[in-house]
Amino acid sequence: MTMAQERSDLLSQLGLNVQNRAAIGRVLGTGSIGQATEGADGRMSATIRIRPDEIAWDPSILVMPHGGDIDLEIINDDLNTHCALLPSNGDRKFIWLVNHSRGRATLNLDGPGYYWFSSPTGNDEGRGLTGAIVVLGDVPPEARLDRPDQPRP
Amino acid sequence: MTVEYVDAGEAVDQAKLSGKLPGNEIAPPVVEGVDYERILNARSEPENWLTYYGTYDGQRYSALDQINTENVKRIGPAWIFQAGSSGIIAGASTYSFEATPIIVDGIMFLAGWDGWVWALNAKDGTEIWRYKHAVPFDVSLCCGNVNRGVAVAQGKVFVVTANAHVLALDATTGKRVWDKTYGDVRAGESATVAPLVVKNLVIVGSSGGEFGVRGHLDAFDIGSGEHQWRCYTIPKPGEPGSETWPADGEAWARGGANCWLTGTFDAETNLLYVGTGNPAPDFDGGVREGDNLYTDSIIAVDVDSGQIRWHYQCTPHDVWDYDSIAECILFEKDGRKLLGHFDKNGYFFVLDRTNGELVNITPFVDRITWGAITRDGRVTAKVYPDEEGVPVHFYPGPAGAKEWTHAAYSPKTELFYVPVQDVGATATRRRREFKESIPYWGAGVQVDIEDMTGSISAFDADGEEKWRWRNELPMCASVLATGGDLVFAGEPSGEFNALDARTGELLWQFQCGSGHHSSPSTYMVDGRQYIAVPVGWGGWAEGFLPGMLGAGHGSALIVFALPES
Repeated sequence: MTMAQERSDLLSQLGLNVQNRAAIGRVLGTGSIGQATEGADGRMSATIRIRPDEIAWDPSILVMPHGGDIDLEIINDDLNTHCALLPSNGDRKFIWLVNHSRGRATLNLDGPGYYWFSSPTGNDEGRGLTGAIVVLGDVPPEARLDRPDQPRP
Repeated sequence: MTVEYVDAGEAVDQAKLSGKLPGNEIAPPVVEGVDYERILNARSEPENWLTYYGTYDGQRYSALDQINTENVKRIGPAWIFQAGSSGIIAGASTYSFEATPIIVDGIMFLAGWDGWVWALNAKDGTEIWRYKHAVPFDVSLCCGNVNRGVAVAQGKVFVVTANAHVLALDATTGKRVWDKTYGDVRAGESATVAPLVVKNLVIVGSSGGEFGVRGHLDAFDIGSGEHQWRCYTIPKPGEPGSETWPADGEAWARGGANCWLTGTFDAETNLLYVGTGNPAPDFDGGVREGDNLYTDSIIAVDVDSGQIRWHYQCTPHDVWDYDSIAECILFEKDGRKLLGHFDKNGYFFVLDRTNGELVNITPFVDRITWGAITRDGRVTAKVYPDEEGVPVHFYPGPAGAKEWTHAAYSPKTELFYVPVQDVGATATRRRREFKESIPYWGAGVQVDIEDMTGSISAFDADGEEKWRWRNELPMCASVLATGGDLVFAGEPSGEFNALDARTGELLWQFQCGSGHHSSPSTYMVDGRQYIAVPVGWGGWAEGFLPGMLGAGHGSALIVFALPES
């Protein structure tokens, strides 16, 4: 069993990170990783896009430095129509993304933890248009247990 | 040549795409007038189900009698609410309804899994508003993506989220008013409890007993969300009860005792009666010698201060996962203020609720092999995982002879009605190091998938069994008792049953299409009585009935009534 190669090389060699080579679609979690930008007021922003014929989010893992509000620019550069269903406190946010379109979404998320977002049309979700938003940080001090620091994995 | 992008606009709330007509997303202000006095006197307005158990006493009894033993065979579905499930959610294979619907003057407030809350027209099931909290996919959940319901008061709906927030929503719009974090998801804490409103407080407990946390209750001001008190259910070194934990090491800091089920309340004693959860690690008692207070206990907590006034421990030094979280049903007998509690360990405890003194103790399930408790409360452990790697089989299994799902008490018949699970399990001790957020059981556990049974059993306050309605499968859903002398109880295989409260005779049955593991309630609108039951198999099925792990999920609230004509 081949294990020693770099993960990205093996993904590419096997064709796991593209459409219709190894699997039918693109295996989830094989895409790019990006970090949100934080403004002086703590509000965050990022751009995610769908590139032609990739049927995947770029980045497919978006990292927020902490919980709070984030402004997303969402771009569909693909030659087909998709959409986005995004997690947010209050209600999930939905946007329709026709070919070559650009839209916006404002999300409010707690941290820490991670959330999935997707394009819930056809089987975009299975082909690769399922991404993750990872929120870093800790819960507020007042919510933590009154006990000595404990070992973690 | 650069082609300008098509402007896709701003993402909208998904609820805008749910067929609502403009203006129909605002609920009438029915919760504005719900205050402590009204909840205290909830028995006087049986048309509503104002608080988790219907009333503070935990009886799950409604005086409504339009549907009764004579006509119940004529009831049928009045409406169905289908919640559905989409996208990748935490515990994607475990979601289910575990809620009690709350009803105020024709409006129903219902919590689902994964952060859902709905306001529905209780007469026809029309969705008025929805709230969806974003729940992290990776939150620690021992027992499924579930939530047991909401509380309402002073214009707000209160709910906890799986990532241990407590929220206040505007009851007319579903919009967030305040949001407080009261648990640490990095420590393995979560939340599933239905909040309880008492006076100006909304009271919640934490989940996470399978991850080695320190259990606690928290109280918040209804109006502002300001934190009022925290009551830890494991004492720190030096505090009363700490002598029941090893003097060296930090077993206490990982000791469990989570209050993951709603308490009951007596305004005269000013005490909350709350059951606490299992110690951690669940099955490895060698790392926590002692009785391990206040695990597996009934604690009486002063509602104003959050101080524990007395306790009664049902299973000292538990090594079978016998949480005592079950409800404490308040009732009076011979002038005494008592509480009744059906414990996971298979015994029915009756205590004097003014001081915690034991009044009666009776087994309520046929097979109890873990140990025995004498009439005067002395506990002897007999069979338990002790030697590393040696399997031990015992009854009841870790879900208990009765899980969290609730018994009911009818003041009319003076009988308790309890859903019974007669299922065993095998545990093999496997000691492990504690690491924060990693499950901390101390054993491999397998619950039996054969040789099981169940019942709805009726007991009087002396522990005498008056009747038993037998079922081939364990009974895993809460019971509802009504003034129509009916007991409603759902089966794991989907049947929803009405039994005669005096005899246990099966009078009516409806196949709901999926198993029951939640809590029905009843209410009246425009002179018509309704019975509401959230349906859908899931949750911790591997714990309470793994023999049905392959059964289909469901996500419906079904509401029954007599024909209108």
